[in-house]
Amino acid sequence: MTEQIQQGILQALVRFYDRMQNAPALGWSQVKFGWAIVLNESGHPVDVMDLRDQSGKKPANRFFMVPAEVKRTAGISPNFLWDKSSYVLGKTAGAGKRTAQEHAAFVKKNLERIAGVEDAGLLALKAFLENWSPERFESEPFQTDMLDANIMFRLDGDARYIHERPAARKLVEARALEADGPEDRIFCLVTGENSKPARLHPAIKGVEGAQIAGASLVSFNCDAFTSYGKAQGENAPTSEGAAFRYGAALNSMLQRGSLNRVARPIGDTTVVFWAEASDRQAAEAADAFGAIALSSDNKDDAEVEKVSETLKRVSRGEALHTIRPDLGEGTRFYVLGLAPNAARLSVRFWLCDTLDAFARNLAMHYQDIAVEPAPWRNLPSPFLLAVKTTAMLEKADNIPKRLVADILNAILTGRAYPRTWLSSVIMRLRAGDDPTGWHAAAARAVLQRMKRKINPTISEKESVPVSLNRDYPNIGYQLGRLFAVYELAQRAALGGVNTSMRDKYFGAASATPASVFPVIIRNGQNHLGVVRKKLAGWSVIIEKELEEIFNKISPEEPSSFPRSLHLEQQGEFALGYYHQRSAKLAGQKSNQSLPEIENDQEDEDA
Amino acid sequence: MGIRLHIWGERACFTRPELKAERVSYDVITPSAARGILEAIHWKPAIRWHIDRIHVLKPIQFGSFRRNEVSAKANARNAATAMKAGTTAGLGLVAEENRQQRAAMILLDVAYVVEAHFTMTDRAGPDDNPAKHISTFNRRAERGQCFHRPCLGTREFPAEFQLLPEEAALPHSDFLLQTQAAGDVDLGWMLHDIDFTNGKISKFFRARIHNGIIDVPPFDSPELAA
Repeated sequence: MTEQIQQGILQALVRFYDRMQNAPALGWSQVKFGWAIVLNESGHPVDVMDLRDQSGKKPANRFFMVPAEVKRTAGISPNFLWDKSSYVLGKTAGAGKRTAQEHAAFVKKNLERIAGVEDAGLLALKAFLENWSPERFESEPFQTDMLDANIMFRLDGDARYIHERPAARKLVEARALEADGPEDRIFCLVTGENSKPARLHPAIKGVEGAQIAGASLVSFNCDAFTSYGKAQGENAPTSEGAAFRYGAALNSMLQRGSLNRVARPIGDTTVVFWAEASDRQAAEAADAFGAIALSSDNKDDAEVEKVSETLKRVSRGEALHTIRPDLGEGTRFYVLGLAPNAARLSVRFWLCDTLDAFARNLAMHYQDIAVEPAPWRNLPSPFLLAVKTTAMLEKADNIPKRLVADILNAILTGRAYPRTWLSSVIMRLRAGDDPTGWHAAAARAVLQRMKRKINPTISEKESVPVSLNRDYPNIGYQLGRLFAVYELAQRAALGGVNTSMRDKYFGAASATPASVFPVIIRNGQNHLGVVRKKLAGWSVIIEKELEEIFNKISPEEPSSFPRSLHLEQQGEFALGYYHQRSAKLAGQKSNQSLPEIENDQEDEDA
Repeated sequence: MGIRLHIWGERACFTRPELKAERVSYDVITPSAARGILEAIHWKPAIRWHIDRIHVLKPIQFGSFRRNEVSAKANARNAATAMKAGTTAGLGLVAEENRQQRAAMILLDVAYVVEAHFTMTDRAGPDDNPAKHISTFNRRAERGQCFHRPCLGTREFPAEFQLLPEEAALPHSDFLLQTQAAGDVDLGWMLHDIDFTNGKISKFFRARIHNGIIDVPPFDSPELAA
């Protein structure tokens, strides 16, 4: 049994901070460096690294982020985990009257602060400091260039410097927090440590629609938000360190072009996501996987193809970590949706689960929206789906704001899609949008998920059809087909017309068939009469198809059409229409196709 | 003197203190919210409820919405002045002038079994004894009586409740069905209760769901942090 970590948003953000590279930090500063000494695990110096910039005429020292430099005037005051050679090694190029004291102070201070910390890097440093004698400098690998330069340390085989190891960072930060004196320490509800309290929380920048200067995720800016007479940060005891770290983590993820955010806001919600894995490579690979899975627009086709292939295999029951071992087993994935509310940010959704579970849900989503022929080339992102199916003029601004967040939520949790998605789709169709495969896909997704809720192991036979299913027993679906065939008859008879049957009747036919279909059938008879004379081959095909559909719905007379179709049936109608329209008809030869709408109607019979 | 109470509801919001302006709920009911539900059914100054264990019966699901609320609170000092003056002038709070739109991320479809006991406080009189209070609680809970409608975190999410008699089996748990494979859940630090005798300090405990059960440490436990 493994323990699942399902803590709050701030806790997860703080853990992300720990994994960030180049993270700004409390108690750190930029200092110029020349050298690093490489230690093995037992503290023996095995090598030295020249950190200088060699591109100029003379080697130049470069800036590195290190534990904050102490202010040195006349006294002896060593730095933590780094310093110049007189402090670190007890050697200097000049006369050096008090080099010995300086070195002793460095050893003493550093040993004190790293005492009791079980970290390979710090233990190696400890051993080094305990065993070092200045004479050792005369032999390999040390070089005279190192004298008086700033020197740091690295553990052999580690990509980080010793002061960059998490254990060392913790020590540095603890010191930074202590600076104001230990008298007012509080319990931190994020980290569980006792430390200096944060009164005001950091401003978060980059959420779409929020104030440019930044808005607060944690704030108590009105009386009604406080409890028990507490002011500001007292309401939620959080340490300065935790507040700083979650702020830095969130701000870095929200930056434009960051890998961890969905580039465009989804509705009014800006979405960030990140993975948590046993090591950094796996976490970054999982971030990249998530980036494509959550927003495939404008991404490299080959990469999207790879992800969609992976999701296909997941939907067949394979575990994600067996397909993509680089993502790591048990990797967790977080998705945070933030919406602006004046000076504050509100959490629209917060999802945390294993990456495996997210992949399973995504795979199920792509199964549920599948229609044939697919209207998309690459896997559509949730954003694109919403734009294509619910937005007027397909403009991002016109998406019903809450809806997209709800759709994304449903996609990632595997729960039912919002029924409002279907009603928005129907509304767009009634408003006169051309019914496309996108609409059909959305309708199918909502309906299929509803069926799935009742029967989680739904078979293909019971499912809402992906492609034309002539025997699907649903009145909405069959009426949709019927409408498509009559439209075909009109096209065959008249070619392109300014206002086609679809423009005129689609919405009404799907909502109130009984009052519209008689008209459609009457017109259809006239169209068929024309087709029989002009395109005899087609008239046979169309009539055969009509007969087949009428057998399925078997209305004895036109009045037996249903008076109205409810929302779900209207969805089926759109789906049936799309399937019928894009399907090959019975008896249609492979090279037999109708002249395009724009073509002249005098075209030859096929 | 232990009791078991089955509580459930369509929605719940056990607001996290760090995210309470734009509310985000904890994943499960907090011990103090559970105490509030028991107190709604039976409470006297003579007794104090202690939550021992919380069984989580439904998978954790979130939903969110935004609504109009107010930014100000009624002022206690003004109310005292008004009482003295004998007039309510200037006491009102006009909602339209103090509008605040707030979002809330709440729990959907929750159900818990709360195991609790009570202790007698120093305000217990000569007539008070545990047997009396336990039978009062059991009688009231069985009949569905309460002093005020118990709620799941906030007043707008009412709690349904049913007494679970000693010999009765636990209700069916969907939570275990869905979460078993994943093992235990570490929920991080969670509010335990407010220490009203000591400067209204919030006390926190490390919440873990083990086999669908959260063990709640007692109020004076060293595991609690404040």
